[in-house]
Amino acid sequence: MIRPLLTTLLALSAVSLTAYAAPPALADAKVTLAYLSDPNWVKDGEKALAKKFEDQTGIAIDFQLVPSDQYFNVLKTKLNSGEAPDLFGGQSGVTDLTLNYNVEKNAVDLSSEPWAKLEDPMVAAQSTVNGKLYGLTYWDTLGYVWVVDYNKAMFKKYNLTPPKTYAEFKALCQKLLDNGIQPLYEPVSDGWHQVLWFPELGPRYEQVKPGLAEALNTNKAKFADSDIMKTDLTELKEMFDLGFFGKNALSDAWADRTKALSDGKVAMILATSSYPVELAKDYPTVKPDDYGVFVMPLADNQLLNVNPAGPTHFIYSGSSHIAEAKQFLDFLTNPENLQTYLDNEPAFLTLPFPGIKDKFSPELKAFMDAHKDARGTVYQTEVKYVNAQWMDIGKDVTAMFTGTEQPADVLANLDKRRADLAQAAKDPAWK
Amino acid sequence: MKIRSRYPRYFALPALLLYGTFFIIPSLSGIVYAFTDWSSYSDDVNFVGLKNFAKIFSPGEYYLAYFLNTFVFTGATIVLKTVLGLGLALLLNEGVKRFVNIYRVLIYRPVVLPFIVVGLIFRSILNPATGLLNTFLRAIGLDAIAMQWLVDPHIAIYSVVVVDSWKGVGYIMVILLAGLQTIPKDYYEAAEVDGANAWQRFRYLTVPLLMPAIAIVTVLNVLYGLRVFDIVYAMTNGGPGYATEVLSTGIFKSFSQGQYGLGTAISTILFLILIGAGYGVIRLLEPKPVGD
Repeated sequence: MIRPLLTTLLALSAVSLTAYAAPPALADAKVTLAYLSDPNWVKDGEKALAKKFEDQTGIAIDFQLVPSDQYFNVLKTKLNSGEAPDLFGGQSGVTDLTLNYNVEKNAVDLSSEPWAKLEDPMVAAQSTVNGKLYGLTYWDTLGYVWVVDYNKAMFKKYNLTPPKTYAEFKALCQKLLDNGIQPLYEPVSDGWHQVLWFPELGPRYEQVKPGLAEALNTNKAKFADSDIMKTDLTELKEMFDLGFFGKNALSDAWADRTKALSDGKVAMILATSSYPVELAKDYPTVKPDDYGVFVMPLADNQLLNVNPAGPTHFIYSGSSHIAEAKQFLDFLTNPENLQTYLDNEPAFLTLPFPGIKDKFSPELKAFMDAHKDARGTVYQTEVKYVNAQWMDIGKDVTAMFTGTEQPADVLANLDKRRADLAQAAKDPAWK
Repeated sequence: MKIRSRYPRYFALPALLLYGTFFIIPSLSGIVYAFTDWSSYSDDVNFVGLKNFAKIFSPGEYYLAYFLNTFVFTGATIVLKTVLGLGLALLLNEGVKRFVNIYRVLIYRPVVLPFIVVGLIFRSILNPATGLLNTFLRAIGLDAIAMQWLVDPHIAIYSVVVVDSWKGVGYIMVILLAGLQTIPKDYYEAAEVDGANAWQRFRYLTVPLLMPAIAIVTVLNVLYGLRVFDIVYAMTNGGPGYATEVLSTGIFKSFSQGQYGLGTAISTILFLILIGAGYGVIRLLEPKPVGD
């Protein structure tokens, strides 16, 4: 009994040792980099470049795209559990890099990469913590401003002109509505778009009360005490209540933005300055010049809102393919690939790298020049602990639209969450 | 001759060791972390007493809405699934004579679909503008009831309840049908002879004899309802606003925001509610001894 058992055990040991002595050819295994991101941050041009990268190097990129309303939850869960993918997308913004992504722990220092010195310094600064660069902002942050894009033909038909005040804006929206046109397309269901009407007006808040951002960052001021912010949210709620966003705003989605304005039933959309180019790409009967732009006129704002932060690539510090991931970022920032990316991406007008031929139209260039000295930085970048709670603000704004919260409640909740985040981060200003 | 009829008790030790290591100890230490400020923003973990619990039950916070929504969801799905499940079980047991097995399979089919798939499909069907349901209702002239199913904060939770009930009623039906089939037919014959009508036979025979099965489905529904996550997350992600946020989605969001201590505190409360609810339901529905 024992002898056959021993013989069997010895045979099994021999087989396993033999197997161990001849491991599979791991060096020939194909490397696949997992890249987790929000689908709105990964353009078709990047996917095409990833294919080209795979053809050239054999390193495949596996894009794992999570819907916007769930993305931050999924990303933070993966980062907090130590199971993040090789690359992940996130919003840069120096005030929130540590809080949102804990980049000093979770991301690789990219300061010595060849492209690091070439990236626009204002943009690179938003991915830098304690002197180290952690991300590649592969986005048009300089030309990608959120403005109201309007249908020029509709405006001409109803004798409308770009408004300079909220009262003018409200009047023109009402006139459009009275004539059977939905004034604005506002996709509330994604949870993030409706928030733009609030912190993007940071330059206006700063104009009304200089130093407000600094006071907020040092806990010497609260959002709930700001009259100009209450005005902004009250006007936003009024726009919803008056039906300016249409009957289906709560279920409208950002993914349908070009379809919404293609049939002539909607006049305006809060989108980027390059939206008309996107629209023209999807609907060739539309020409980019059919649309004009003006700044968001809530709270009587006339300043251009600039955000030097934007969707950024980070390499996970726990990745087992850091070298390959760096190789991919290097490939993306190759001048030829940058130009190809820009040329094939209708949403972008420029990229934050030197030597790029931009796509500003003469009209848009004139608009940007007209606001050369009338601009400021948006509050989600300028003020700490705002961007980290973007989707929560979105929930509060939705609740405000449906009547379960008031504008004051939105601001009060914002302050509460800021205090929680600041205390969790052991911010000395919130002791 | 002495016959050894049991395995030695120490045979259970490996299983107990694994269960203790991977379930008991993490659960207990989780309860300890509920009293700390554990978060992803700091390496320090400090004892903060009942601060997390005070925050959860603070009137100014939205956590209380999580509790309300969870209880509403649980209560509504218990009633809907039990009533519908019992109705379908009675039909299949007594009413329908042909193709019983086919009907049983068709009613049970939604049970095997993943929650995420059901949630995403119904999210599309219930879209107020382009969804199948409203398009159909408008096509047959019923515009008045083409509602904002998942975006009206007053009805969104009930829309989720209906979809969840549709998905789970087959499971409840199967359990109740098995219970019905254990009731001897003689009892019904005797009751008919004694002049009992259909309602009386149902009330005085079927319901009492089906109580063990009803107790099982109630406990299952209570425990499922209090822990619901997938269908809510897929259909509404807790929205619009906080209208459909439940305890499990709240726990998920706390953890994903790096607020581990707070998330653990909510989990602990849910754990205690589950124990209390499960025990309470079992005690309430257990058959009383004769003579009591």
